[in-house]
Order: sequence, then C-alpha cells, then structure tokens
Amino acid sequence: MKRYDLITPEGTKDILFEDCLIRRQVEDNMRMIFSGMGYSEVVTPGIEFYDVFNLNSRHFPQEILYKLTDSKGRLIVLRPDSTMPIARIAATRLREADLPLRLFYSQSVYLANRSMTGKSDEIVQMGIELIGSNSKKADLEVLSTAVEVLSFCDSEKFRLEIGDIGFFRELVSQLDVDLITAENIRTLIEVKNYPALNDLLDSIGDNSATRALKQLPRLFGGEEVFEKASKLFCDEKIEKILSNLKSVYNDLSKLGCNGKITVDLGIVNRTDYYTGIVMKGYLQGYGEEVLSGGRYDKLLSEFGYDVPATGFAVNIDAVADFKKKKEDCKCKIPDAIVFAEKGFEMEALMRCREMKKNGLVVENSVFHSLEETQRYAQKKGISKVIVVYGSSGGNGNV
Amino acid sequence: MSEKPLRIALTKGRLEKDTVELLEKIGFDCTAVREKGRRLILPIPQANLEVVLAKAADVITYVEHGVCDMGVVGKDTIMEMKGKFYELADLGFGKCKFALAGKKGHDFYSGYDVKVIATKYPNVARSFFEAKGMDVEIVKIEGSVELAPLLELSDAIVDIVETGSTLRENGLEVYEDIAPVSARLIVNMVSMKIRKQEIENLIGLIEANL
Repeated sequence: MKRYDLITPEGTKDILFEDCLIRRQVEDNMRMIFSGMGYSEVVTPGIEFYDVFNLNSRHFPQEILYKLTDSKGRLIVLRPDSTMPIARIAATRLREADLPLRLFYSQSVYLANRSMTGKSDEIVQMGIELIGSNSKKADLEVLSTAVEVLSFCDSEKFRLEIGDIGFFRELVSQLDVDLITAENIRTLIEVKNYPALNDLLDSIGDNSATRALKQLPRLFGGEEVFEKASKLFCDEKIEKILSNLKSVYNDLSKLGCNGKITVDLGIVNRTDYYTGIVMKGYLQGYGEEVLSGGRYDKLLSEFGYDVPATGFAVNIDAVADFKKKKEDCKCKIPDAIVFAEKGFEMEALMRCREMKKNGLVVENSVFHSLEETQRYAQKKGISKVIVVYGSSGGNGNV
Repeated sequence: MSEKPLRIALTKGRLEKDTVELLEKIGFDCTAVREKGRRLILPIPQANLEVVLAKAADVITYVEHGVCDMGVVGKDTIMEMKGKFYELADLGFGKCKFALAGKKGHDFYSGYDVKVIATKYPNVARSFFEAKGMDVEIVKIEGSVELAPLLELSDAIVDIVETGSTLRENGLEVYEDIAPVSARLIVNMVSMKIRKQEIENLIGLIEANL
C-alpha cells in the first residue's frame, strides 16, 4: 500500500519561519486597520452545513467544495467563504444587536482548484462586513478601507477598481432572453471576449440595450469612462446608477491616490449575489486580484433577516507573497545562548527568562558540553554564549 | 507608466510564425525572434515587447499567473484548459474546427450502447456530450487520434479538423461540427488593468493589421 505520510495534499503547503513572520505582520496590520475603524473580530467554524453555501443568490458548485458527512449523514463542507457564515451569525445570534454591525474575520477558506495549476486550495482571507446600512456613507467607508489595505500592501503599485453590478442587470433585463443566454452574455463580458460577445448580441438584435452591452466590457479606465458611458446609456435607471458611481468615484479621489482608483463597468462576477457597487483590488506583479467585494443587500434575507450589507475580502497569502518579494524579511537570530554547567539547569532557564524580559532573544543550550554549544552558536551566528555555573552566573564569548 | 517590457507568450510553431508575421506587418523589427537559436525569451526593443515561446497549454498557464501579460493561443487549447484571463481578440489565423468524426457511413447515434470517444481534448469532448445529455466513455489519446476508431478502440473521435484530408485518407468522416477554432489574443486580468494604455495601443495596432 502506498503511504502518503511524508507529503501534504495537493494545493496545500507548510509555511515556515520568514514566511510565517511576514504573514503575521500582514495580519497584524490588517487587524489594526479594521479594529481601528470599529470592526470586531468573529471566528466561524471551519466546517459548516452545505446548505449555508447553497443559496439562491449564491451557490458554490459541487466540484469545488471539500465535502464530508457528519455522524448523522448530513452533508458538511470545509468553509469555502466567510461572508455567508457571517451572514448566518448576523441573522441568528446578532439578530437583536443594534445596527450597523461592523464585523471582521481572519481565517482560511477551502476551494478545490484544478490540480497542477499552482493554485492553493487553502487560502487565508481577512475581510470586513458592514451590515445594516445601504447608505452611500457605508459604501464609502468600505471602499476607503479597501484603499487603506491596498496602500499598506504597496502605496504605489496598487489599483482599486470599482463598478456597479446594476449596469449589467438593467441592460439584460431589457433584453428578451432566457437565463442561459443571459449567462452566456455575462461570461463573455467577464472575459472581455469582444468578438464572441458581438456575435451573440448581433443574433439577439440591434437595440439600445445590445449596443450598450457590447460596449460594457470596454468601459474601464479612469474618469473618461463616465463620459463615454453617459453617451451610451439613455435609460433613466442606468443614468442613476452611473451618476451614483461617479459621485462615489469623485469622493474617493479625495483620498489622494491619483490614478490608482479606476472604474470598470464590465465587472459582472456573481451577478446574483452582488446588488450594487463592486470592487476589485490589484497589486502590480501579482497575476490575480488580491481583494474583492461589494454590496450584497439580498444575502441576509436568505437567512431570514432582511438587512443590506457590504464588505470585502483580502487574500492574505497573496499579499504575503507580494510583500516577501518586495521586502527583506529575516527571522531574528538569537542575541545569546545560555549554557548550564551540571546542576545549574534551572538557574540557566531563569537567566533566559530574565534576559527575555529585557527584550532579548535567548536560546537555552540543550547540548552536553560547552564546546558543542559554541560550535552550534557559531553555525547559527549567535554572537554570545553565556555559561551559568553559580546562582549569579558567568559569561563567556565565542 | 511602466518601463518594463510587456511580455507576450506565443504558441510555438505555426501560431508563432503567423504572429511574428503580424508583428512585422505592424512594423516591428522581429530579427531576434527570427534568429532565436535556442533562446526562449526574445526582445523586440522597439515595441518594448518581450516574446516568450511556449507550448500552447503553457501559454495559458503563464498568462493566468501573470508572469506573461499577454499570449497568443488557439481557441482549442482555451476550450480544453479554461482558466481566468481576458480573451480580447480573434486573430483570424490558425483557423480550423473541433468536430466529431468516425468511420465513413456509420450512424454514430444508432443503438443503445454507451459510445466510446477517443480524444486529445477530454474536457471539450465531455462538455459537448454533457450538453446533449449523453453519457459517453472518454479515452484520452496522445498521438494520432484517427487510429482509435480504425483499431476499434472507439466509436468516434473528437478532434481538430483543418482540411479533413487525414480523415478522408483513413476512411473517416466528420459526423458533426462542434466549434470553430482560431488563434486568440489573451491578456492577464491584472495586466489589462495596470497597463491598459500600452495593451490597448498594441491591440489597436494588431487589429488594424489583421
């Protein structure tokens, strides 16, 4: 029988030393950003009932979930997302709590990726959810927090892209097409497949909605997008969405990150789930988005609690990877190593404790001889060897 | 904004040749690519481009991971591999089609037995039959797929058909077309956003010279 006791499952990895250090630094910074804005941390179970992730407005395809059954044969999944469990908490345990709720989380999510693509199945995400307000103030708060997160990652090389799912929704509702065709249109806009999108829309007909949909994936970039878009849309509802997005964009420009906040009216992912403004964050040199989120006003009602909400999630693995390439992060070499002569083992440990209190990093030697300790210290680059031979102790250097 | 060259991955072989011709038509000096020797990363300094030569499936992998900003790859590979990237333009060359083919004169859909399909493209074959609600058994073949029905391993094949002459010479025929195939220009989703101007300029030049 082949044993798998020396390797980790595909899509997972062990994280060691410097990698841990940089990851904790990233997490600590995020935590400071979030809690400084009044967000409180919640932790949800690593396993949940499948039903939590199989809603009308959002469901995870079977093939990307890690599944198991509980002792009663009920279907359980490894958490693929944190927003849905948090919506569940808000709708149950926090139902009587005063609104708005400001919650944040820092935990892994699990998704089964295509194998051999170099993607992780276990990703640490941190994120915020602002529940109970559909105001523009709430949108601005979440967006500017996203900017804060991205500028922490790299104040120069980030982009925050905003859009509104409403454009696509309104335009498609004006077409007389079935759900499958609507989904085909959505996919083609999502991947900006201009030729195929044009062919499909031509087959549906030539009207203001198909003409606008053809342009939707091209409408991305800076402020000029609004001008181009306003020429295209002659529908009252869409004009309202556009003017709202424009005013949000203008407000965000006051954060002073010139050119780093952009617009893409062709963001059409998870159209059943998002209901308003959506966002994606990028770091130059990292091939995928590192942050994504938006307004999801319908999700909580699926748990029986009809309140609006907005939020985003950051991929901490991606940020840590990015930071690692950018910054030199080394684990600290201990300042000293303490060697105990026979009979003074406890005194040595007390000495370590004392030095630790003064902010030093001290190792306790577990070798039998001073020579071995010195060899080890030299190899590891520890500059000081302390020998404890009496209650007061004594020093010796390598 | 960025002085780093845009990196474009080309599928080695015919698509590479056609793309280089296209780039030369635009007016770029592609000497380095033409005289590449064994090198795999080649500069086109004048256009601030860097050409990477790779196998079709790898072009997608490199673009998806963002180590290459753009790529030229056949729709056949895109359909088989899927993946997340923008598929911005149909370059028009490398034209062929996916088709279901088998022994001439044989009625593929007759009988009640589960059909065996040999193919180099198991995902394309699977989704084609899934859309028909038809259960089939798929056998992955690496080399000449045409052999499988001749050796009676399979009832039919799902493969790329260009002129159809290989099929004809082996007594096979196309039963049904599945999808047209041609070379596509794909772009990494983040590169598209961060280096919009450069990429759009290049696409503009490419489209004007198709």
